[in-house]
Formats: sequence, structure tokens, C-alpha cells
Amino acid sequence: MHSRRYQEAIRNTALLWLLAALATSIGCEPLNKASDVLLNREKDQQTIKLGVLHSQTGTMGMNEMSLRHCEILAVEEINASKEFPNVEFVTVVRDGRSRSEIFRRRARELVDREQVDVIFGCWTSLHRKAVIDELDNPTELFRDEHFDGKSSKPRKPLLFYPLQYEGFECNRNVFYFGSTPNQQILPALDWFMSQEGGQRKRIYLIGSDYLFPRTANYIVKKYLENKSIEIVGEDYFPLGHSDFHDVVKKIEKTSPDLILSTINGDSNLEFYKQCHSIGIDPEKSPVLATSVGEGELRRIPPEYAHGHYAAWSYFQSLDTPANQAFVRKFKKAFGLDRVVDDPMEAAYTQVMVWKEAYKIAKSSDPIKIREVLEKGLEFDAPGGRIKVDPKTHHLYKKFRLGRIGLDRQFEIVYESRDLIAPEPFPSFAFPGWECDWTRGGLTKGPPPNIGL
Amino acid sequence: MIITGAFVAFSWVGTIFFRPILRAFLRKRADINDLIGYMLSCFGVFYGLLLGLLAVAAYQNFSGVETIVSKEASTLSALARDVSAYPEPDRTNLIWLLRDYTRYVVKYAWPAQQKGIIPQEGNTRMIAFHEQLIRFEPKTPGQEILHAEALRQFNNYLEARRLRLFAVSTSIPGVMWGVVLIGALMNIALIWMFDMKIVNHLFLGGMLSAFMGLMIFLIASLDHPFRGELSISSAPFQDILTHLMEE
Repeated sequence: MHSRRYQEAIRNTALLWLLAALATSIGCEPLNKASDVLLNREKDQQTIKLGVLHSQTGTMGMNEMSLRHCEILAVEEINASKEFPNVEFVTVVRDGRSRSEIFRRRARELVDREQVDVIFGCWTSLHRKAVIDELDNPTELFRDEHFDGKSSKPRKPLLFYPLQYEGFECNRNVFYFGSTPNQQILPALDWFMSQEGGQRKRIYLIGSDYLFPRTANYIVKKYLENKSIEIVGEDYFPLGHSDFHDVVKKIEKTSPDLILSTINGDSNLEFYKQCHSIGIDPEKSPVLATSVGEGELRRIPPEYAHGHYAAWSYFQSLDTPANQAFVRKFKKAFGLDRVVDDPMEAAYTQVMVWKEAYKIAKSSDPIKIREVLEKGLEFDAPGGRIKVDPKTHHLYKKFRLGRIGLDRQFEIVYESRDLIAPEPFPSFAFPGWECDWTRGGLTKGPPPNIGL
Repeated sequence: MIITGAFVAFSWVGTIFFRPILRAFLRKRADINDLIGYMLSCFGVFYGLLLGLLAVAAYQNFSGVETIVSKEASTLSALARDVSAYPEPDRTNLIWLLRDYTRYVVKYAWPAQQKGIIPQEGNTRMIAFHEQLIRFEPKTPGQEILHAEALRQFNNYLEARRLRLFAVSTSIPGVMWGVVLIGALMNIALIWMFDMKIVNHLFLGGMLSAFMGLMIFLIASLDHPFRGELSISSAPFQDILTHLMEE
């Protein structure tokens, strides 16, 4: 009896297994296909890390926060556009803590641990030079700290730098998105020497005591050598200096008709305050600043700076649909009280230019991106059209001169008609020096006496 | 739904495929259903206790983390209120830094937490805020009181934040999940052993399995307070961000 039941059970079970196998082979086919599609999609999904290296803490923290925000805004915009549906761009943000050795260490970390192909970053020339040096000559100690031993080849990412700077630099792995002195300071001087600018002939040079002001003023002095312009004074003060009473008195005594200021950072507040209290007239002796943008004006009471000038390539007040859209996007993302200035626009633009190069190269490989950029990529930035210079890795940019208004914005009083070619080694200041990556790179001349 | 469905499906598949074999072995006894019934109720008490206690523990953990997040958000809100009374330019700097941090929490830290990753980059943003806060030197007795209060709120905030970050990785240990799943398997196996009509068997077995699946789903959902559908949302931080954007 039990044996018959047992045989029945075995038979029934076998029959059921057979039916189940049949059902599975028919019914699960669509499921299998669906899972294949999902799995392939998963395989196709790619994450590309983009290094963002700015000071978040320390003395430069507040300034560099704005650049970081613009870079993040650009990356968020690229991801949201779904232009690359299978790619997610992820920012890997590191803090340089306003210290060169930390910039070095974090750059190495981004390269070896995070395996980034590009770094957007830095503000000061000191930090930029530290990062470039680290990328060119890795510090063994840092390599040991971060190297995971998996990478078969040494990585050398590109550095995209957004600030206007002194020039005198040429590196194949660096792309410079800020202006050089011939795109910022020299056209401003030309304007002030013109009839429209008041044909000014007596210039006072004042600046913070570090690389950019010293080099910029060296270039200015060389530029003005044969132009019957008198330099009536030249002074430098440490970064953060706040007592400008004596020098402003001195300026008043020499009665220049233009004060070229390369003062950087919070010192500007005290400088403009002193100029205002002593009664420096912006009509007679305007201050032409090279490091005061909308961001800096936020900290300076408008009555102190009203009527003075600043030279940049971009101002927030630029009245174009592209710029208005950019300003709107930024304020929506980071606050209605935020302002946008030249370095911020350059920070945003550099990410967008990298994206354009990525689209053409179809790869984030630094060499392929560099090859695309070296073909002279053009791009419509919020501040207008720009073009990468294949020779110098700088940008062809417009020059704009702005007069400071009571609303802490600039009224654009002059704009160059065409894009100005970058000259990191102007021949009148650095004879014999040339940067041309279409012809082998840097040609060195006699070392200049900048006075550092 | 998926977990509950999987339990019911597993129970039904077992009932269909193993029932004939088990019937052949167990029908030797006439009182087999009574015997399995006793076993199942005895086992059910222990297993039910285990599931119940785990569900309560997971719920307590979930509501504890929810309280931490609420406390963190309210402290952040109070801190924002304090620094908005500072004189310029410190006020704007501090508000911008808080905005930067809060935006990071909403847009980057929360999605990372939902993947079980402890977000790291908020730490630097907090250091930047702290640097700016301690740089402020009060000039009036009113500012002194305000500054002391802001520093106190900041310390409270750091404590709540640290607790939230710890909570990202806390969960029921794997060995406990092992016991729960083995218990569920044994429970379902006992159901397969009943001798009854196939339709009744499928219906009753399915009901019991569905409930077990629901309980396990509940525990799993509550276990990771930041993951899945039933997770703690970033809404309180979003509210603060909206407020800070208009400051």
C-alpha cells in the first residue's frame, strides 16, 4: 500500500518538475531578456571623477568657496542635461587649507587615490605652482600615502586654473582660464592714456607684496618705458596689511592721475577707506584695481569705492541673455544675495570647456582632452565667446573696464572689440622667452629681474 | 511587496514540489496534522518573540535616529538664527558658509547616506564655518552673549551631527539576520508538512508566509533608518536651506 503511494508520489513529483522546467523555459525568457538589458545598462554606466581643489578653510577659504560653487554648478548642470546619459560626473572636492604643502598633498591624493584625470583648482599663484610642481615631480612620501598599487601607469592629470595671473608660465598639462597682464592691465592702461580715458600721464603703483603684483608691475613698467608716462611712486605691503594712512598721504602729495592697485584681499577695504577719508577724487586720481571684483565689493562700503575702476574680462552687469541666464542659475543654486565675478565665471567656463573637449574626445583621458583643446576649441561662455590658444594653453578673451557704482556693481565703460590673444611672455618684458606648444613648448631667454 | 511575494512564492513552490514527497513519508501517522500543529505553535512562539523583539528594537532605533535628525536640524536652524544677527561682513560670511554646508547635506550627504555611505565632505565645511565663527570678536555686551550662544549651538550641532553619522552604519548584525531567515525557512518547512487539500494548503501557507514576509520587511526597513522607501528624509534640512537661501 505504502509502496504504491510512494511510487505515485515519485511519479507526480517528476511530472511537476518537468512541467516547471517547461514553464520556466517559456515564461522566464522575457524576464531573462529584461535582466540582460538591466545588467548591460549597469555595465554601460560610467562614473567620471573630477577633482576640485580649492581652499575651503584658512585665509583663502571664503574667496575660493565661490569658485568651488561655480565648478559644482557646472557639473550639476552637465549631469542634469543628460547630454551623456550613461555617464555620471562626480566632483571629488579637497581642501587645500590655504597652504601650499596641503595643496601638494591633496593634489597627490586626487591623482593616486581618487584617480582623477582633471583638477579644477587653486587661486593664488603660490598654490598653483605647488600643485604643478607636485604633478610634474611627485613627492615620494605622498605617493606612498595614497598609491593603491593598482594603477599600472603613472597618472598625470590636467590642471585647469581660473584666475587672472601674472603670466611667465608655460606648462603642457595646465590650461589657464584667467587673463594674462596683456589681456587685463595693459589694455586698461591704454584706455586711461587715450583721450576717452583722460590722457593720464602720472601713475602710482601700489600692490600687495607677492608674486602677482611684483610681476604685473614689472610688466607695466617695461610696457610704459617708451610711452612718456611717469611712474610717480611704487609701494608694496604684506597681504592683510590694513594701515594705508601714510601711503595714501604720499599718493595725495605726488598727485598722480591714475593709481594702479594690485592690492589683494581684505586690505582693499582699508585702502579705499583711507582714499575716501583723505579725499582722493575718483575723477582726478582714479584707482584702477586688478583684483577687486563684485565679490570684493561686497565687503567695501559703496561710498568708499564709488567712481573708481577695475579691469577684468567679465562683469556680472554684462547685459547679454547668456550672462543673465548664468547669473540667474547661480543665484538660484546658491542664494539670491550672491554675486558673480570674473574668476567665478572662469571657474564655471573651465568645467564647461572640459565637457566640450570630453564630448569630442569621447574620453576623459588627459592626453586626448589636451589634443582636442590644442586644436583651438571655441566656446560660448557667459562672458562671451572664448578660444583656447593652442600655443600657450591660455584663452583668447575680451577685455572690459568697469566703473564701480553705488549698487556694488560695475558699469562697463569700455570693451575690446575683438578677442585679445594671450601673451604669458610679452616680448618687451621677457625678451627671448616664448611659449608655443605647437613648436615644442618653452623657449627660455635671459632671466628677468622682477625684484622678488 | 517583493519580500512578501518572495516568501509566498517560496512557500507555494515548496508546497507544490515537496508536498508529494512529504505526504509519502508522513502519512504513516494518522495524527500527523495534530503533531505538526503542536510543533508549529511551539516554534511559532519562539520565532514570533524573536521577530517581535527585533521589530521593536529596530523601531526604537529608527525613531531614535529620527529624533537625532530632528535635533540636528533644529540646532542648525537656531545656529542660523544666531549668526544672522551678527554684524556685517561676518553675518554674510557665516550665512553663506552655513548655506554651503546645508546644501551639501541635502544634495550630496543624504543620497550618500541612502546608499549606506558615510558622507565625508561635510566635515571640512563645518571646520570652515567654525574658523569664521571664532574669528569674530564681540564688541558689545550684546554681541558677547550672542557669540557665546552661537558657539554653544555650534557644539550641540556637532554632537548631533556625529550621532547621525554613526547611525548611517548601525544595523542588526548579520548573524541575527541568519537566525531570522533560518527560522523563517523552518517555519515554512513545517507548513509544507501539513496534510490537507492543495487549495487549502496553498491558501493557509500563503497567508502565514505573507505575514512572515511582512514582518521581516518591516524589520529590514526600520533597520537602516536612512535607506529604502521607509527612510528618514532630508526635509528638515531642505526647509532650513530654503530659509537660508532667502536670508
